[in-house]
Amino acid sequence: MKRLQLRRGKEMAMQQWLGKGLVAAVLAGGIESGSCRLARADVQSDQTGAILVFPKLIVDTTQGVDTLIRIHNASRSPIILQCFYVNATPRCPDGSGTCIPNQRFKSREQCSVRCEEQWQETDFRIVLTENQPVAWLVSRGAVDCRSTPNGAEPPPDDNAPCFPLDGVFRVNPRGNQSNAGSRVPPAPEDPFIGELKCIAVDENDRPVVRNDVYGNASIVESTRSRVDVSAYNAIAIKALPNNNGDKTLVLGRPGDPGVEYNGCPNLLILDHFFDLATDPVTGDTITTDLTLVPCSQDFLRQDPAKSTSTVQFLVFNEFEQRFSTSKLVRCFREVQLSNIDTRTNDRSIFSAQVAGTLTGQTRIRGVADGAADHGNTLLGVAEEYRDSGTAAFNLHAQGVRPQNDFLYLP
Amino acid sequence: MGRTRGRICRSLAVGLAAGWVLVIPAHAEVSTERSSSIIIFPKIIYDGTFDTIVQVSNTSNSVVFAHCFYVDASLTDPTAPPGPNNPPLWQEVDFDIALTKQQPTHWVVSMGRTTNPFDEACALPDRTDCNDAGFDPGRIPPVPPGFTGELKCIEVDLSGAPISGNHLKGEATLLSLLDSPVSRFGDASKYNAVGIVGLDTNDTNNVLCLGGEASSQCPAGPEYEGCPNEVLVSHYAEGARNPVIEAQSNGPSSVATYLTVVPCTEDFEFQIPASVRVQFEIYNEFEEPFSTSTTVTCWGNLALSSINPVFGIGPLGSRFVNTRMRPAGTDPGFVAVMEEFHTQPGAGTARSALNLHVVGQRPRADLIVVPGGP
Repeated sequence: MKRLQLRRGKEMAMQQWLGKGLVAAVLAGGIESGSCRLARADVQSDQTGAILVFPKLIVDTTQGVDTLIRIHNASRSPIILQCFYVNATPRCPDGSGTCIPNQRFKSREQCSVRCEEQWQETDFRIVLTENQPVAWLVSRGAVDCRSTPNGAEPPPDDNAPCFPLDGVFRVNPRGNQSNAGSRVPPAPEDPFIGELKCIAVDENDRPVVRNDVYGNASIVESTRSRVDVSAYNAIAIKALPNNNGDKTLVLGRPGDPGVEYNGCPNLLILDHFFDLATDPVTGDTITTDLTLVPCSQDFLRQDPAKSTSTVQFLVFNEFEQRFSTSKLVRCFREVQLSNIDTRTNDRSIFSAQVAGTLTGQTRIRGVADGAADHGNTLLGVAEEYRDSGTAAFNLHAQGVRPQNDFLYLP
Repeated sequence: MGRTRGRICRSLAVGLAAGWVLVIPAHAEVSTERSSSIIIFPKIIYDGTFDTIVQVSNTSNSVVFAHCFYVDASLTDPTAPPGPNNPPLWQEVDFDIALTKQQPTHWVVSMGRTTNPFDEACALPDRTDCNDAGFDPGRIPPVPPGFTGELKCIEVDLSGAPISGNHLKGEATLLSLLDSPVSRFGDASKYNAVGIVGLDTNDTNNVLCLGGEASSQCPAGPEYEGCPNEVLVSHYAEGARNPVIEAQSNGPSSVATYLTVVPCTEDFEFQIPASVRVQFEIYNEFEEPFSTSTTVTCWGNLALSSINPVFGIGPLGSRFVNTRMRPAGTDPGFVAVMEEFHTQPGAGTARSALNLHVVGQRPRADLIVVPGGP
């Protein structure tokens, strides 16, 4: 009887709370919906675009970890991409251990002194013929297949991925297109963590309105006794018709003056298991790494100030209880969720012990600093870790903000 | 108590009306990363080899209700091969969920979820097992053993009428339960639910019109965005080797790809399964074209190698492949996800799921008919 009364009491309290909160909540929702009327996110990982962003690449060949990039031309004409590797591998000044924040490196010897951040871009070009898929391993890059160690006609499946149409001995079936001019450098260091961005350009490296490419990345770990694969789609940004073809790419709300590409999202939404939660099916412990990259980047001057944002995290558990925290993101950030607010994982607002429930919803927002030469929006991807394997997935997005983001190309 | 309920209802009516008026205008195509009014999980499995965790969230500041349908597409006799005498069940079971503002929820499809406000929460120092803690979204039935099929959730108002709130998002995690030739115990793959954005022309009746023009069944025209005209698939040729595994000299490896296809047209009222003829336009790395087709009725989980041998590494002659899928002629549209199986000798099989890219919208409407009221 006492138990029943308690339950009724809980239900009534919840219903009263619902009743009081609803008007305000609904009004707030209405306001939010109203604001979204003008501000819909158009950066997408399930459509083709003119800019592809792969937020997370990892290489550590000594441990069998590498990333496979796949890019496809979905159009019936060839396309040139100018691509930028961003090397964000932090350095350990005294060489005492690793500084890479990814969980695959957690069991390694950690650097005993303060790690030095790094943000170094390397760019290259690739040419895709119509409807052509190409791929490469980040650790090795890619060259013309005929220049691989396997010789003139390597078996299709027995070499590192390479460009098959050299333009001299081999062209496309119509004889008018090839991959000539394509060469992908290997990752600048090993181990490596960083980002890849590819932009559709013309023969003179001027950005063009070609929303024709899509891609995905697979992070593969292979040792003698273990294989693991996690994959995510590249985030595509569509070009708008009024692209002026200069080297400053303006991302913002379609229709705003000077805007050449769809804007990055106002908010990222991450549905996640709280860190250290027990998987209800397998009993594994679950943790999540979040990777964030800024939409504004200055590849011309290598200016990290334009890629720096304070990021607000608004966390809801399954009781609709709300927590929040913030973190500075400069150029690139890979972090375990429960290390965003503390180094003591089980005391984090992202830990199951603190949040109380298995899953949560986190809304991620780069705080606008009002600067005219950069925005503060972000793109990202998440990767879930269980004892038995990993799974990557794309984040959801909401809204576009009035401030533009800029990509400055060399 | 009654007065409280009255307040809730009044609040909801105002809220839903406000939400309805202020709904976001037309959005292009289906999406796997936008909040939507219909979310589709094409691949839900509980067959003894795999189990699935479903996550659904309300991304708005309003309370959201959804009407969800499991569609069991397992064979009538699971021990016999598929065929005309052993068709899939296409058995639907539906249930309702309610999510408070910004509330995430989840359930394991084999367990469902009960409504128990006394579920223990996780807590310091070491309680990390809190599967059912949180506001229960409603009573969610467990799926039967052997279940293979889809889950579809449709945003509705308090009375159960479909609305275009665009407040739902979701993810599904497929977990392997066994060490088997197709997976390793505990291995996980994850995909986003496919979302269909609702439009402000929703007449809230039980015939949901996805894309297309005005017709006798859709007098106000489309109520939701249409299903994609084309679906793009980036995949390995069947049997191709994984270059990372080969580079580590851990081969010979092989990669297999499964496509899970769900027609957009579904009649839950009369339990009539829809069929779609799926055409494949295939390009290898040499830009050489190939094509094939297959038919999917109700739900299909297709190994590429079972569709046609042309997907093999031998016929294609290259490892990476770009495939366009589209419905034939006036067939219904469809949505799909893919899952890759990477097998390494001595290490088992690792899986990764990917959402597929979409292009355009079907010119004809797809209809989802939900059961009417009593």
